Amino acid sequence: MIFIGLLLILLAVAGAPLFAVIGASTMWGFSTSDVDLSVVAIELYRIAEMPILLAIPLFTFAGYLLSESGAPQRLVRVTRALIGWMPGGLAIVALAACAFFTAFTGASGVTIIALGALLYPALLEDGYSESFSLGLVTTSGSLGLLFAPSLPLILYGIVAQQAGADVSIDRLFIAGALPGLLMLLLLGGWSVWTNRHNRVPLANFSGRELLAALRVSIWDIPLPLIVLGGIYSGYFAVSEAATVTAVYVLVVVVFILREIPLRDLPGIVHKSMGLVGGIMLILGLSLASTTYMIDAGVPTRLFGFVREYVSSPLTFLLLLNLFLLVLGAILDIFSALILVVPLILPMALGFGIDPIHLGIIFLANMQLGYLTPPVGLNLFISGYRFDKPIATIYRSTVPFFLVLLFCVVVITYWPALSLWLIGG
Amino acid sequence: MNQSLQTFFVRLRRFGCRCEDTLLCLLLALMLGLGTLQIVQRNLSGGSFVWTDEFLRILVLWLAMVGAVAASRDDRHIVIDLLGRFLPPRTAQVVRLVVDLFTVGVCLLLAWHAGRFVWMEHEYGSQLLGSLPAWPFQAVMPVAFVIIAYRYTLFFYKHLQQLRQPGGSL
Repeated sequence: MIFIGLLLILLAVAGAPLFAVIGASTMWGFSTSDVDLSVVAIELYRIAEMPILLAIPLFTFAGYLLSESGAPQRLVRVTRALIGWMPGGLAIVALAACAFFTAFTGASGVTIIALGALLYPALLEDGYSESFSLGLVTTSGSLGLLFAPSLPLILYGIVAQQAGADVSIDRLFIAGALPGLLMLLLLGGWSVWTNRHNRVPLANFSGRELLAALRVSIWDIPLPLIVLGGIYSGYFAVSEAATVTAVYVLVVVVFILREIPLRDLPGIVHKSMGLVGGIMLILGLSLASTTYMIDAGVPTRLFGFVREYVSSPLTFLLLLNLFLLVLGAILDIFSALILVVPLILPMALGFGIDPIHLGIIFLANMQLGYLTPPVGLNLFISGYRFDKPIATIYRSTVPFFLVLLFCVVVITYWPALSLWLIGG
Repeated sequence: MNQSLQTFFVRLRRFGCRCEDTLLCLLLALMLGLGTLQIVQRNLSGGSFVWTDEFLRILVLWLAMVGAVAASRDDRHIVIDLLGRFLPPRTAQVVRLVVDLFTVGVCLLLAWHAGRFVWMEHEYGSQLLGSLPAWPFQAVMPVAFVIIAYRYTLFFYKHLQQLRQPGGSL
């Protein structure tokens, strides 16, 4: 039994598709307990029983369209006109624009590709050091995970609901706001402080440029208003908001602004749905593996085991942070959510941790994981995009990593930050 | 491989890719259209067709499965691949062959059991969307797994060829 488990882990780290590893372990688990293996298909079919899943393909599609359109340029221009005049202006522009963009496109590295390419040269031009600029752009790639309507937040809600916790996605969206702002504020503050001797010529605030920037973005501005307004006011369900986003972006980018020719659409659909298929297949197969693990009492036994060594919630949270940090460095955020949340959620509940708070901790930790070697995804995307060795990229992100680490600690040990707005 | 067989595979791939892209676009367009219609209906009359919700959910399953097939086209499935970075190239190539074979095996098993599930639903006469038989909608699962298995068989063959070339690397 241990032998097969080890073999599967070995195959996973050797680069076998994760869905195959999960599929194999689930089938093997069920077959040892003499359950008919068609149960795997029955569980997979549950993908067609969760209305909220509609949000995943639609938001992903909208995100891919946005990143291939002129929206990144326009976003940078508007943000620059708005706050570029402040000290450390462009650094803050980068943080704000990236956070906003990531919230809307999910965290699949598109932010570094789409926005980093614009911001990195601009930062260098404004006199920021190469290391600072690289670090900033790499870090910003995963900023915004905690803001609605980010895909990881939605996915956490889905997985937690499947694991039996009462977690509404609307409440998650609200809970993420303050912790997300904390990250933005501290990173922004650090950027300003570290560049205080760097006499970057301050840009003047220009009403005319702002007006011009807004005019160019006239079609983009309603999108966040409709989506966020719709979700927060309760007018749209999350899946409806996803539909509206996808249709709106499609119409604006393809038919009104004509930035993406119609003939390029199949390629974008193929790319975005490939990602969706990859995530959903893992999700569907782990629905089966979760069922198996719950039948076999794995979460309960795991909780019992941890309980023997860990008595206080604080110690549990500390261990959780360490565990998630390592996890985030090895697994991408979607697989990590799908595979690990069903296991740690019952434990966290046992220690009296609010499931919504757990979600925020989880995502904040994962965000750090993007910057953690050896496999932190942002490091690689950035290295590839800016043609720099991974070691250089890694060194440049260290100060940002430390700031974010401090945020994660605050978020973890101060539940009220996440729960205050939802009255928890 | 002889010339005509190779041409056949190239053509088959092109045809398959085109079918895949068309199907994905159709599914997504249907989803967008139906989703919009539902919102409009809710605002105008306060209701929508009884079958809209169910049909949208089936579309999600189809998009997921066809999307998974699409991801296998360029070997873009989510992997951890920790080991590959540290292995010498030759060993990495051999490991890659094992991984390909493993994936083919798992996909075939999944296809077999999903196929049995669809067959049982057929025998049982399950229905959805009012009175339509459920099994054709569910059949996307085994079919997708068979195609993914086929793709990884091709990867296996490709990697085997590379291994045979002296000094070839992945």
